[in-house]
Amino acid sequence: MIVHLNDKQENLKRHDPITHPWSEKIMTILGTALGMVFYLLQVVSGESGYAQNGDFEDAELDDYSFSCYSQLEVDGPQHLLSCAFEDPDVNSTNLEFEICEGLLEVKCLNFSKLQETYFIKTKKFLLIGDSTICVKLGGKHITCQKMNIVKRVKPEAPFDVKVIYREEANEFVVTFNTSHLQKKYVKDLLHEVVYRLEKNENDWMHVNISSTKLTLLQRKLQPNAMYEIKVRSIPNTNYFEGFWSEWSPSSHFRTPENNSGKMDPVLLIISIVSFFSVALMVILACVLWKKRIKPIVWPSLPDHKKTLEQLCKKPKKNLNVSFNPESFLDCQIHKVDGIQARDEAEAFLQDTFPPQLDDSEKQRLGGGVQGLNWPSQHAVITPKTFGGESPLRCLSGSVTVCDVPVIPSSRPPDCREGGKNGPHVYQGLLLGAGTTNSTLPPLFPFQSGILTLNPAVQGQPLFTSLGSSQEEAYVTMSSFYQNQ
Amino acid sequence: MFHVSFRYIFGIPPLILVLLPVASSDCDIEGKDGKEYQNVLMISIDELGEFIRTERNLDSSPGLNTRFTDSMIEIDSNCLNNESNFFKKHSCDDNKEPLFLNRAARKMRQFLKMNISEDFNLHLARVSQGTLKLSNCTTKGKGRKPPSLGEAQPTKNLEENKSLKEQKKQNDLCFLKILLQKIKTCWNKILRDAKEH
Repeated sequence: MIVHLNDKQENLKRHDPITHPWSEKIMTILGTALGMVFYLLQVVSGESGYAQNGDFEDAELDDYSFSCYSQLEVDGPQHLLSCAFEDPDVNSTNLEFEICEGLLEVKCLNFSKLQETYFIKTKKFLLIGDSTICVKLGGKHITCQKMNIVKRVKPEAPFDVKVIYREEANEFVVTFNTSHLQKKYVKDLLHEVVYRLEKNENDWMHVNISSTKLTLLQRKLQPNAMYEIKVRSIPNTNYFEGFWSEWSPSSHFRTPENNSGKMDPVLLIISIVSFFSVALMVILACVLWKKRIKPIVWPSLPDHKKTLEQLCKKPKKNLNVSFNPESFLDCQIHKVDGIQARDEAEAFLQDTFPPQLDDSEKQRLGGGVQGLNWPSQHAVITPKTFGGESPLRCLSGSVTVCDVPVIPSSRPPDCREGGKNGPHVYQGLLLGAGTTNSTLPPLFPFQSGILTLNPAVQGQPLFTSLGSSQEEAYVTMSSFYQNQ
Repeated sequence: MFHVSFRYIFGIPPLILVLLPVASSDCDIEGKDGKEYQNVLMISIDELGEFIRTERNLDSSPGLNTRFTDSMIEIDSNCLNNESNFFKKHSCDDNKEPLFLNRAARKMRQFLKMNISEDFNLHLARVSQGTLKLSNCTTKGKGRKPPSLGEAQPTKNLEENKSLKEQKKQNDLCFLKILLQKIKTCWNKILRDAKEH
């Protein structure tokens, strides 16, 4: 048994087609040949197109390839479908075009021929679904194409391109017209507007718009140049598609010259007037700065040191002051009682006047100030309170002055003439630096400078420059304001 | 008895299963995005509405309106009564929109014989044929001839015959107007459902 089986196994191995070398080769050759045949068949059959009845010849397919485009509502409600061979050398003498499917009320329609173009104008397009267009030769279909008419729409070219210049806005308004605005099917289009300088060929600027109006800014164009502009359209809906239309007739326009140098006359006048006004204001500001403007804008604060210096001005050199009693003969001298007054007057004189007085004069002054009780407060001295040669009167508001005894004082030589020169000293003390040339009446004319210090001795009014100088030496607040 | 029960148990249900596909129709609608309807069909439907309005003298001129007011009301009521059976049988119910459109498109073909004008017929054919193309129904029923609009009955005199024809024309136009409105409504429903989903 075992031996029999082994023999059988050997026989099987010997005759096994898979493992036999010759069979392998034969199988390989057969498979390769079959594959090549199928490949060649596929290549030969190719993609020549759809054939309804299958009896077409593809040998001359490339020669009869064609393309078509449609124009809807081109003539009222009628549509146009145009086809032409892609190869212009095709002999189209006996060739015909036919469209089937996608038609209303009929099954097929034949094209008309115009030179090398085949067309059909009809209302009977269904506009839904595909249609089949075939080339026929002697009733036989040579080649066919399946196409959807609504996907091959070529709009009509725009027309009436106009360019209007708006000077007030410095812009150009481009408008054009298209017949599709009144159509029912292909209403929405995309328009391409192109423009260029006439001297620059092939340098077109492109603008895409969906409306029939475009605005070009003047600043983006060259001044004083000639431009060319034209428009074309393409369907812009989600259903109708196709090709660009033909270009519209070109329109030309010229840009104005650069008018930056020219100005509006009214604007020119206004600018000149405003310039001169500003210049005048600047000049006036410079001239009046120190006197008028600066005191208002930056008022100066009173300086106490300067004020005090002005108040304590040195007497003039030519001031003739004398304490000789003989010079006071014409003046009424009122005796002043009171030791206190003397002391205070002496103290004041030492501070204000240089120590030039004689001892006799000092004694005289000292006696004169006996009993003088100067008011401790500042007296409000006004010119009105003193007369010319009238005896001294009591100061308003200074009762204590009246109670003070009369101070004997010397009389200046020009006492009778009034205190025009003399009181300058006291005036200077009182009024300060700002009023050196003031026209104020002398507060303490020598003749009237006699203080009625003691009502009991009014008959001998005693004028003392010391007393008046003491009166005048009191600084009032008003002097500060005057010094400003 | 035993054999009878077997007949009913094992015979009838398969029969029902076999007959169900025949009774039901398999309709599907293309163009649910509404491109074909909005760009082509709706334009033709509106044009047909204008034709119908013109034919039925429903313009704004006061003279005509006052003259034909009573007769128009009578016509409308009559046409609804006569052809309302169609709308009773077919309606744009849920999941039956394609079927209704298919039936309505077939019904429209009978109005081609009215020969009102060439453009009228073209628009009518576009709506009918376009709707049929979009609503693919695979119902394999018997080939039905489109129901005719009816023939005029022989009358005694010409005047009566003429008035009957005129009345019938008005009725047909009335029915067509209602049919177009139903088609529009059904399309709008389909598009609305497509947007929601």
